[in-house]
Amino acid sequence: MRTIFFKKPIYVKSGFTIVGPKEADGNFGDCFDVCLKDDLWCEKSYEKCESKMHRDAITGAICKAGLKKQDIDFMLAGDLINECAPTALAARNFPTAFFGLYNACSTFTEAVLLGSCLIDGGFAQNVTCSTSSHYSSAERQYRYPLELGNQRPPTAQWTVTGAGCTVLSSEKPVLANFQVYEDDIIAIDKNLNIDEKTLEKYKKSIEKQKKVINLGKSNINSANFDKTNNDYGNNPKYYVKIVTGTVGKVVDLGIDDESNMGAAMAPAAFETLTTFFEDTKTSPNDYDGIFTGDLGRFGKQTLEYLMQKEGITMPKYYLDCGASYYEPEQKTFQGGSGAGCVNTAFNGYILKNLQQGKYKKIIVLATGALLNKDTPLQKETIPGIAHLFSIETEEP
Amino acid sequence: MEIFLNYLKVFAIGGFVCMLGQILINKTKMSSARILVLYMLVGVVLEVSGAFQYIKEFAHSGISIPIIGFGSNLAKGALEGMKEEGLLGAISGGLSAVAAGLTTAITCGFVFGLISKSHSKKI
Amino acid sequence: MIEREEYQQYIKKNSPKSPMVRTLVAAFIVGGVICCIGEAIGDVLKVIFKAMTEKDVAIWESCIMIFLGSLLTALGLYDKIGHFAGAGSIVPITGFANSIVSPAMEFNREGVFFGVCAKMFVIAGPIIVFGTVASFLVGLIGWFTTL
Repeated sequence: MRTIFFKKPIYVKSGFTIVGPKEADGNFGDCFDVCLKDDLWCEKSYEKCESKMHRDAITGAICKAGLKKQDIDFMLAGDLINECAPTALAARNFPTAFFGLYNACSTFTEAVLLGSCLIDGGFAQNVTCSTSSHYSSAERQYRYPLELGNQRPPTAQWTVTGAGCTVLSSEKPVLANFQVYEDDIIAIDKNLNIDEKTLEKYKKSIEKQKKVINLGKSNINSANFDKTNNDYGNNPKYYVKIVTGTVGKVVDLGIDDESNMGAAMAPAAFETLTTFFEDTKTSPNDYDGIFTGDLGRFGKQTLEYLMQKEGITMPKYYLDCGASYYEPEQKTFQGGSGAGCVNTAFNGYILKNLQQGKYKKIIVLATGALLNKDTPLQKETIPGIAHLFSIETEEP
Repeated sequence: MEIFLNYLKVFAIGGFVCMLGQILINKTKMSSARILVLYMLVGVVLEVSGAFQYIKEFAHSGISIPIIGFGSNLAKGALEGMKEEGLLGAISGGLSAVAAGLTTAITCGFVFGLISKSHSKKI
Repeated sequence: MIEREEYQQYIKKNSPKSPMVRTLVAAFIVGGVICCIGEAIGDVLKVIFKAMTEKDVAIWESCIMIFLGSLLTALGLYDKIGHFAGAGSIVPITGFANSIVSPAMEFNREGVFFGVCAKMFVIAGPIIVFGTVASFLVGLIGWFTTL
């Protein structure tokens, strides 16, 4: 059976997100921990910025969980760029065992599933699951140079600039506020053996970097944080745990248009979802939240059509993270995609709502289109994959 | 008045040529490089068939500013070179006719590529 | 599970399409305006340099248009025009300049040799290759017919 039922409870200790400026203006804008005002973040290239976002998302999540770097047993991480380079560059800052993963946009759920397996098997106590993606670095690798004056087709999706990290643990998280300060995020590669001059330079660069970041509204340190009226506060009331997961298989229905990822991924999402409902003997109505990854508006519609054909009606509260990520006037056509999409939506919006008790039992599914720049040129079709995990909350 | 009419012709033909390209993009999802290659080859064909000259007399820049003009220059250069110098002219004529434009484009590419980096996008 | 053919039919039928009227009007207007700018440059050149032949005016005209296209690309404006106009800004010679300058700028961060210089022709390469080969074929066939 492809569905894994975890024997031990796997708690989500914390989640941390860093996103770019366009994402901060989007629908989930209020839920992110850190929003960048500039998507280069004082770095020389977009890949370097992505790597830094990834590194600092992991650091932030570890801080927020009340842990130290040394407490983490395994890191599971991935991104979209060739050979997961930004992830590897981020991972060199941690003294931790590292798995580099790639499953296109579904890397996050893959990481969570594998992390849960590691904890369930008793091999680890704390595991970080993180992914990142960056619009500008993905665009130059998969598509065209940014300055090329072409039109994006109406089926196109917008790669989310963002990194997020979830800390999974076999222990119950402490239901308290762990403050994350600007210094925790930025000043991590502090090298003690540097001379005065370099230290001065280093301090200046940190000051410069601080100017570019906005601590999100959800962060406790933010000046405009209102404890009473904000649903996204950092006051968790419930324990969040991962109970089951379904590992997807690669499905290819012969879609060859690389600008129509939603159509390529929807059959995989359908396959994984139906398998999950069959294996767990449940139906969509048993859950109060169903979140798919980055199918986009058309992909969401396609999935609903496929489910309808099988006799399963998707409930009204079914939400696609990609389709809901941006406001319509942001002109992203189909919405967000990329490894950072479902990740930042989960760690930002979904996790905080779970901790506040708005959702009790949900499914998170992320989809990925498995292609590189050359396969469509070699007249290959685009296979899709989808991984799924389900979450329940527990009262303290 | 004559000038106004002249610009109207340029606008109409130039716009029409671009509109045909847009129909191709909308219908076949061709990438911009393919559109450019196709239009340039159309220019070569128009020049060889002799039609380009008539359109140019009518619409001036309306047909020579689109990349069709680049293709026609290539073909025209090759044919003229062939008439003057025989086979060697046929080989060198095409590129020498567009050498000025190509050099400008490559030099601009190099200089701007060195001094400017791509800007992040919001739309 | 749905059949392969049926699914492809469904996708083909239901995929969102580009709005025809808006994109065509935008392409028409922007394309027409770019051609008019070219014509205006040619007219100004004719007024300033009276001795210039018609052929030289045409060459200068396209060189200046290429420069303007490159400049707008370097300033980060051409992609915004392209986002609005589509083929209206791809088909004119400025679009060719844009397709050379934009990869050069994009790969600036990989250095001069394998970044700017090597990647400059990622998009414009096929145009130059097809153009050169086509002109050679035209010349060759012309030469054979004169024999």
